[in-house]
Amino acid sequence: MSTFRTNQNNANTNKLNVILSTVIVILVMNVGLQIWLLYTALNYTLDNDQHVATIAFWASLVIFFICLGLLYYIPMGKKIKTPKRSAIR
Amino acid sequence: MNQNNNQEEENWKQDFPYHKQNAALVGRREFAKMLTLVSGGLAFGSGLVAAKANFFPKSPVEGEHFICTIEDIPVGGTKSFVIEGSTIPYILIHLEDGSFKAYEQKCTHLSCSVYYQPGSGQIICPCHNGYFDAKDGSVLAGPPPRKLPHLQVTVRENEIYVSAPEVLNNV
Repeated sequence: MSTFRTNQNNANTNKLNVILSTVIVILVMNVGLQIWLLYTALNYTLDNDQHVATIAFWASLVIFFICLGLLYYIPMGKKIKTPKRSAIR
Repeated sequence: MNQNNNQEEENWKQDFPYHKQNAALVGRREFAKMLTLVSGGLAFGSGLVAAKANFFPKSPVEGEHFICTIEDIPVGGTKSFVIEGSTIPYILIHLEDGSFKAYEQKCTHLSCSVYYQPGSGQIICPCHNGYFDAKDGSVLAGPPPRKLPHLQVTVRENEIYVSAPEVLNNV
């Protein structure tokens, strides 16, 4: 039986591809931001300024949780039903 | 029977991919998960930096240390020294205007040894052409990300002493 979701998937065949690419682009930007935060925190720490390191750590932690949340939106693709091994034998 | 054999072969391939392409292939989902792992690692690294900055700060130089007499350094000359109990190399500079300055001799870029170029008013890192102002240690050009750490210089009865700077980040 055809459902709304099946029809949607058939009408927009590139949807999963676009979602996955978008998530990856956002993840790469987040990681880039974290690298910049770490670099800045190191520089300020070596310059005897502790406050920046603390703020950078919290910001980096928030970004990490955002990355974790984004994993929820990764499409798992179309599941192909394969018979179990026990059924084959 | 034939169909069952094919299906069994496919399962075997899934478990043990013997083609190199299948074994080394990193899908986009795995890549996204790996990026999240890297993100966690960077957050952990930032936590270490913050912990080091807040709980294990760099101990400042304690007390006043005699370095040399004024006659030992001509105008435009320098003297390298290490404070007792420390391994950080410092450089004492007799500037052309008659003042004395003391800086860490390690470039803030990659810790190469810096030197003073007489007459130019510049401290130079030869590794990657980093230039610092000899008057306050600030970066003039090149890749160094921050100014040279300095020490307070006191001249008393023809003798030169160094101590921790009175106000951090201020010459």
